[in-house]
Amino acid sequence: MANVTLNQIGKSYGKDTAVENFNLEIEDGEFLVLLGPSGCGKSTTLRMIAGLESITTGELSIGGIRMNETDPKDRGVAMVFQNYALYPHKSVFDNMAMALKLQKIPKAEIEKRVNDVSDLLGLNDYLERKPAALSGGQRQRVAIGRAIVRTPEVFLFDEPLSNLDAKLRVKMRMELQELHKRIGVTSIYVTHDQVEAMTLADRIVILDGGKVAQIGSPRDVYDHPATEFVAGFIGSPAMNFLPAVQSESGWRITGSDLLLPHPEGLATKSETVTLGIRPEHIEVITVVSDPDPWVIEATVKLDELLGADALLNLSVQGFDLLARVSGTDFPEAGSKVHIRMDPARIHGFDPATGLALSRDPISER
Amino acid sequence: MKSSPRFGLYFLVLLTVVISFFPIIWLILTSFKNTAGIYAWPIQYWPDPFTFENYISIFNNSPELLRYILNSFIVGVGCTAITLMCGGIAAYALSRLRLRFAGVLMVGILAVSMFPPVSLLPSLFQNFLNFGLLNTYTGLILAHAGLFLPFSVWMLASYFATLPVEIEEAAKMDGMGFVRIFLTIILPLSWPGFVATGLIVFIFSWNEFPLALVLMTQNAMRTAPVGISLYPGEYAFPWETISTATVLAIIPVLIITAIFQKQIVGGLTAGAGK
Amino acid sequence: MTQILTLEKRTALTGIGFVTPTVLIIALILIYPIIQSIVLSFGQSSIDGFEPYRFVGLDHYSKLMGDSRFWNALGVTFTFTALSIPLELMFGIGLALLMNETFKFKGWARLAVLFPWALPTALNTLIWRWMYNSDYGLFNAVALQSGLVERPINFLGDDVLAMVAMVVVAVWKTSSFMALIILAGLQSIPRDLFEAGRIDGMNRWTEFTQITLPLLKGPILVALIIRSMDALRTFELPFNLTDGGPAAATESLSLYAYKVIFDFLDFNFGAAIVVVQFLVIFTMSLVYVFALRNKD
Repeated sequence: MANVTLNQIGKSYGKDTAVENFNLEIEDGEFLVLLGPSGCGKSTTLRMIAGLESITTGELSIGGIRMNETDPKDRGVAMVFQNYALYPHKSVFDNMAMALKLQKIPKAEIEKRVNDVSDLLGLNDYLERKPAALSGGQRQRVAIGRAIVRTPEVFLFDEPLSNLDAKLRVKMRMELQELHKRIGVTSIYVTHDQVEAMTLADRIVILDGGKVAQIGSPRDVYDHPATEFVAGFIGSPAMNFLPAVQSESGWRITGSDLLLPHPEGLATKSETVTLGIRPEHIEVITVVSDPDPWVIEATVKLDELLGADALLNLSVQGFDLLARVSGTDFPEAGSKVHIRMDPARIHGFDPATGLALSRDPISER
Repeated sequence: MKSSPRFGLYFLVLLTVVISFFPIIWLILTSFKNTAGIYAWPIQYWPDPFTFENYISIFNNSPELLRYILNSFIVGVGCTAITLMCGGIAAYALSRLRLRFAGVLMVGILAVSMFPPVSLLPSLFQNFLNFGLLNTYTGLILAHAGLFLPFSVWMLASYFATLPVEIEEAAKMDGMGFVRIFLTIILPLSWPGFVATGLIVFIFSWNEFPLALVLMTQNAMRTAPVGISLYPGEYAFPWETISTATVLAIIPVLIITAIFQKQIVGGLTAGAGK
Repeated sequence: MTQILTLEKRTALTGIGFVTPTVLIIALILIYPIIQSIVLSFGQSSIDGFEPYRFVGLDHYSKLMGDSRFWNALGVTFTFTALSIPLELMFGIGLALLMNETFKFKGWARLAVLFPWALPTALNTLIWRWMYNSDYGLFNAVALQSGLVERPINFLGDDVLAMVAMVVVAVWKTSSFMALIILAGLQSIPRDLFEAGRIDGMNRWTEFTQITLPLLKGPILVALIIRSMDALRTFELPFNLTDGGPAAATESLSLYAYKVIFDFLDFNFGAAIVVVQFLVIFTMSLVYVFALRNKD
């Protein structure tokens, strides 16, 4: 087990920069997730840690030792690939044993280690089969087993669950969590699926266009997104964004007459702002008691029942909002309702930089 | 589909088959005629008498025929071996190792494959003469290897490109060096490509003419196509001997083609995708 | 220890190592001889080393320009190429279309198409020479017996007919090769394009001109390049069919060069011919590669 330090890591292909100024200290035993849309540089970063891509700038250390020039096999890392990358012409046993064989570990010990891991992952019945005879989930387990058997310092996962169907994905996610609890090895996990990130991570690093947008715990990035990009990426359905213009008494939403008061603690000097509120923080009010500036009239354009919840596509004076409400007893399309946005949950972003307006002094970047 | 287009289709197919096969069939028929039959007028379509005498006497008339065929074999096998080995690792390096000069080299290899063999002749002949490579197996094998390496590299590179990169990456992480990756991963997974390339190169080598003609001047060292082509004397064409010898000389190639036709066609069409 | 060289450098070194044997052989057999031929063409020497090399500049080339036999060979080569390529293309496309259909004896058909390619050109030519024979050949026998002609045709003795005969042999042998390449292209055209065309109301002809032919441009170009390179270098065909006759009517550039070098033993003049041939082919290949580049 070891910590991993990325110091100003960058990767360029000629003039194109794939990753820029990546700084991170990953702690021993931490489960760190690199999250972002395709092309954001997360896989490239992982591959640099693995040694499959060269590092253009910066320094990488594992366990305190500089690893920039080291061969992948000497870095003490093991990788689980998106497409499993199993040797198709070798049996499950041989697939898992390969690395150990290359390290010239005695046969008896190889057998013991492979069998232990096979027990752990439930692969005992498949040891003699070739990958072609296994299902997707089983192949994934073999790929994981291959990594575990090497008792590495760091596990690297490159979107390992993307090729599985939805149900299997949920199951494997939970298995991965349990595995991490049991083995506790430092893990770096790449995905574009924010649900995976939120459920598995100790900390999440969100990447946008090769740059780090935010680093924080799942709670942090959800409650206090550092940029508009992060706010829109985390949370499903995505946050509602409302461009607004400053006025003395509050913010006027662009394209409508609606004037919202300045939420407490959220202040900015700029003329324009982008407000954000998550669908789950908008509620339908049945009883309008005291006059509340956060209660507004709306018409339901579309309703979608998801099961436990429902999504309401609301038309407010001049703009649209998506709200998430309980699936029992919700207003249907066509009805006029009153909704309330929770002022404590309103986010503000600078339209020019995308950065969040700070309202809370604690926000890692 | 209606039946009449089908009929037209089958007719065309039949026509194609007939046109493709008739020279060979005529050749075989000729080889079974006796001298009188060959030079008969009006022409004999079917040998009468149908005789094996040409085949029996050929080894008395031209004992070196067997030697010719043997030479072709040795050169063919040698050339194929070298081409596959050298071409294989070169193709692997150029398609997998992400080398900066890969693109240039591939184009360069393509360019040199267009050189006319005849333009190589004066220089090759002179050099081989001076270095004692004339009339040696080594010499011709080397020459053929040079001719066919470009094709081999391109073919094998296109086969390697179809293998998923991740398996090699996993192997790298497991700790395999490049040579090991090539031997234990690439080779087993792409052996159909090697087979197809090898077969085609063997056929190329067997059929090659200009270099084999010039670099082997001793009768005993000549390859089959060259040896048989030189049978005709000043005035006479011993067609009995020629036809029989030709049949014998093309049997290996035809057998290989017949057995491996799927692989060969696959190889040629894949190579076309360059 | 392995940290002295970066990962990238080590990969590059391995790559160079892997590529070296191939590059060496190619340099030895393909590149160096061309250069040496160029050098030879600019000088006068003898192969046994008796006379040392003497630089004579463009002497051989000016002699070449005035050599009618050279111009004849050039003409023959171009004529041969210009005649055989279109025919091969036509038959090749036709064959490919045929092979693309599904029918029962596909295996036989494929073999039939492959055999001509697999035959050694030299031996194949001998077979045809026998069939063309003016006294005992198959073709004359059929022509006479069916009453098409009254006297046997001397195919190989007439300068025009000899060229025709040569073209026929070439077309017979290589149409199948063209067909294979074009077939590969055909098979990569997605089926639903044809289905969409059918719904739009295309018949077989419009299907061919609107969908098939445009999408085949790539493979056709590839086939054209390969075949025309081969046709310009043709050697064993005239060598075995007519030995360049009658009266050099079928003497290709390669054949002429060969005769100069090995019959007259004039290595230097022969080298000049060979260099010219090389330049012609090299230029054409550049033109083609350029055309391919732009097409992408």
